[in-house]
Amino acid sequence: MTRLLPRRLPATAVAFVVFGLLFAFATIRSPDFASASHIRQLLVFASFVGFAALGQTLVILGGGLDLSVPWVMALGGIQLSIWTGDGMSSALGVVLLVLVGAGIGTISGLGVTALRIPPIVMTIGMGGLVLGYLMRVGLGSSTAASAPAAAERLVNDTLLGLPLIAYVWLAFALAAAWLLRRTGFGRALYATGANETVARLAGSRVAAVRVAAYAASGAASAFAGILLSGYVGQTYLNMGAPYLFSSIAAVAVGGASVLGGSGSYWGTVAGACTLTVLAALLPTFNLDAAWLNIVYGLVILLAVGVNRIAARGVAA
Amino acid sequence: MSALAASVRDAGVSLKRLPRGEWGTPLLLATLIVVDVSIQPALLDVTQIGLLIQTALVAVLLATAQTLAVLTRGVDLSVGSVLVVTDVLTATKLGGLEGDRLALLPLVLAAGAAIGLLNGALIAYGGLEPFVATLATWAIFDGVALLVLPTDGGAPPQQLTNLAIGETAGIPNSYIGLALVLLAWLALRRSPLGVRALAIGSDAERAFLNGINVRRTKLIVYALGGFVAGIAGVYLAASTSTGVPTAGDGLLLPSLAAVVIGGTSLAGGRGGVGLSVMGVFVLVFIGDLVAALQLPSWVATVASAAMLLIVVSLRSLPQVLARKETA
Repeated sequence: MTRLLPRRLPATAVAFVVFGLLFAFATIRSPDFASASHIRQLLVFASFVGFAALGQTLVILGGGLDLSVPWVMALGGIQLSIWTGDGMSSALGVVLLVLVGAGIGTISGLGVTALRIPPIVMTIGMGGLVLGYLMRVGLGSSTAASAPAAAERLVNDTLLGLPLIAYVWLAFALAAAWLLRRTGFGRALYATGANETVARLAGSRVAAVRVAAYAASGAASAFAGILLSGYVGQTYLNMGAPYLFSSIAAVAVGGASVLGGSGSYWGTVAGACTLTVLAALLPTFNLDAAWLNIVYGLVILLAVGVNRIAARGVAA
Repeated sequence: MSALAASVRDAGVSLKRLPRGEWGTPLLLATLIVVDVSIQPALLDVTQIGLLIQTALVAVLLATAQTLAVLTRGVDLSVGSVLVVTDVLTATKLGGLEGDRLALLPLVLAAGAAIGLLNGALIAYGGLEPFVATLATWAIFDGVALLVLPTDGGAPPQQLTNLAIGETAGIPNSYIGLALVLLAWLALRRSPLGVRALAIGSDAERAFLNGINVRRTKLIVYALGGFVAGIAGVYLAASTSTGVPTAGDGLLLPSLAAVVIGGTSLAGGRGGVGLSVMGVFVLVFIGDLVAALQLPSWVATVASAAMLLIVVSLRSLPQVLARKETA
């Protein structure tokens, strides 16, 4: 069990320390910050980023990037509300949509590996196809589709004082840690991200692990979109837009190299929590939502810069 | 200079001819034009074509900025955010209630160049990968645009609008705009800067060994890209008579698609703005056809994305097959 906890020190540990310091600062600024109800709310917000960044972490570890996250998220929320509106059970809908997301990711992964298309171009193209589909189904219904009941329960109901989604997130974090640390897939993914040619010569199934990472990203994004629709209470075309930046920023803040090969999902979890606290802090400085994007951008630059200096220090 | 030119030739770069096997795009474009004109013959008219170019010009400028980055083996994800910054500045600072302040136009254009300069500095001197640096500036300046103008509105100066949508001696100004873009590219391509940029794109190490200041060249190229994307924002605000802080949202995909469809190599060093302009017009005529056939607008979105994926697949297939043979 202990092996599934953060082992990639110090980057992951640093990410948690940064989060801890920021949270302490926020609590000093406004004592209500650490109230039980506010922490519950922050956890729900952080879990959206956490799921959107789950697949992004795997893709980035393998040396890629997934820019289709926002559109696959919107697909998850919108399509589920359409299906459940037509009478489909929401459990079946969630399963089907996670599979659809995985399918979209698989196509992206095949384009990147088999056809050697740059990840940015491939995932922007796939995102464009999904957007086109969403515009088509969106034209049919004039009102915003309502969120499925199951998604609302996941983010609104609590167990032992914490939202249900927090337990689901913890389960996925443990699973991701096991996958990355204890399986051949994880080792092959790190090896691929660090140096694809060396990994291939060493016998890693480079293409297979990269495709699997994109498939996981599609699945996790669709799931994140379903959760988000449950919280917001409705679905709309641009609902996933902020998560393009936040999913990548969470990975960078978590101490992963944006060029692949090093990092951990626990780091991303810390990154998602850090970004969520930052976002919650903005209003206390009288900064409006426009600042959110600016903060995400600055955080990406800062995290990447710090990681590079840290990596240079280790190498020296 | 001659040694440099030779090294560029050695690297398989011909600055004058189309790259081998690049006749697909002109053929595709010609086919689309013929089909579109046969469906709506009224299109063959100076004013109609002028309107078509007018709607295409923003995409042309963004594709130009994207091409400059791609030629140096980079990418610029921030083109849309540069556009919205100069778009909202044009709508709020140049125009507005207190009257027009056209004299500030150079400052607005400088703002675009400054964002490009920041990209270039982060990439060339900060050592960041182009996608990381421009992803971050994309986020930052999307936010900055929303700070300047939170919701759609503002009032670009009427003179700028007249310039953007007016005509000179019976010729719509959009023709002149397009011609200026192409002429500027021809001049750049033959200039020392253009030769250096292409040399860096095809082989940065070799370019460095030939005495090219790789960092400074990249800095200038990204700054130029920011300047051009900034012009796109000013033009968009002027031609639509309003400022829209989210106008850049859907524009990254077409800018990349135009570069790819045109045939500029994503591996850098081969291609040019002329090709990307063809790529833009492929997308424009697809959109025009979709409208002419009274199809819903999602068809154009799907067609653009599909065209990007199909063309990029077709272009990479020969390399993938060649690799298989040698392996």
